[in-house]
Amino acid sequence: MSIDLLTIPEKGIWFGFAALGFAVLFNVPSRTLIIIWLIAAAGGMAKLVLMLYGIDIVMATFAGATLIGILSVSAAHNKHAPPLVFSIPAVIPMVPGVFAYRMMLGLIKLSAAKIGDDSTQILSETASNGLKTLFILMALAVGVAIPMLITRKESIKKIRHKSDNQQVSDN
Amino acid sequence: MNGEQNKKIKEVEEMLLDVGTLLMSNGASTGRVRTTVNRIAVALGYEAELLITSRSLMLTVTEENGSDYTSSVRRTPPHGVNFKLVSGISRMSWRVIEDKLTVEQINQDILRLTSLAHFPRIVVLSLVALAGASFCRLFGGDALEMSVTFVATFFGLFIRQEAIRKRFNPYVAIAFASFTASMIAGLSVRLGIGAVRETALATSVLFLIPGVPFINSLTDLLDGNTLNGIVRGVNGFIIAFAIALGLLFAMKIYGI
Repeated sequence: MSIDLLTIPEKGIWFGFAALGFAVLFNVPSRTLIIIWLIAAAGGMAKLVLMLYGIDIVMATFAGATLIGILSVSAAHNKHAPPLVFSIPAVIPMVPGVFAYRMMLGLIKLSAAKIGDDSTQILSETASNGLKTLFILMALAVGVAIPMLITRKESIKKIRHKSDNQQVSDN
Repeated sequence: MNGEQNKKIKEVEEMLLDVGTLLMSNGASTGRVRTTVNRIAVALGYEAELLITSRSLMLTVTEENGSDYTSSVRRTPPHGVNFKLVSGISRMSWRVIEDKLTVEQINQDILRLTSLAHFPRIVVLSLVALAGASFCRLFGGDALEMSVTFVATFFGLFIRQEAIRKRFNPYVAIAFASFTASMIAGLSVRLGIGAVRETALATSVLFLIPGVPFINSLTDLLDGNTLNGIVRGVNGFIIAFAIALGLLFAMKIYGI
């Protein structure tokens, strides 16, 4: 996949549409659709910009997913929906589909290879594709979960509710 | 224990089980199920203790002064993902605190939320197909490959919806969908229409990826709900396996 600065906004549009499809599949509230589109585009473009500056795809994905997680938590407070409504559709466009596909092809080839064949090349390609798939998936899941876990303890609503109670008892 | 009180606590218990099972079967994480059920219970003056597994929910409700309690288990129906419901119940749980909803009002709200309309089928099919085409573009496909992926995803999802409607096993439904999508995408690769390459084939099945099971699995694991996290992760792996199975069959048929 060739990346240069000019194609990034265009890719951002497609990140948005890919997320929108999953948002509709998961039946999100209609009021959140535009926000999901924007969050997915922002996360995807952040990943591509980082990769453009030579950062490895796993770390770039982690950063993109974390951005999506943070944006989802703030969108959750504005739009009154749980963060996962925004974050799950928005990270799905970053899944390493082609790497997973190539890993599967490699595994099939390896299983068909006879003992004594030189399958070093296939083995290293399959291991590389498989590990990329695994680590990108982990980066996605951890990146998007961390902001939710950090903010879960004291959500804005809970804080507001507590202060309401205090006011009542003060009066 | 008088009958009136007994009836009331049973009502609360039924309602809490409804809330819990609905959240669990529509894609909420274990932590969210527990928090939401506890929040509603406390607001109504009860204490709730939960045992949450992926297929059933066990609940003990105790009155706050501790005189009256009741326990019950309910099966969690296997279901799809419906974030409108998860989001609606989450909002409702706050209204229980802020607007002091009664049990009847909560039950009415649950009824309203469960009957909320889904997106029209054609909108879902078209937008998911567009998502497939977007994936294709993101992995470097051109306009022709994007349209192949669009068509493949459209019919793949259609087959999945039909298979679920005919009550096939959910994994089998996914394998059918993956097979259909890759047969369509594979045909254009096989016939060599334009310069269609493997990108179309690889991205035509991506609409099936188990995003919700995997992300919820990780959320549960990080949250300390290890067992549920493992169950969701295994579920995700079986889905991934079903996708690969359908794709493999199509590729063997075409000899790609």
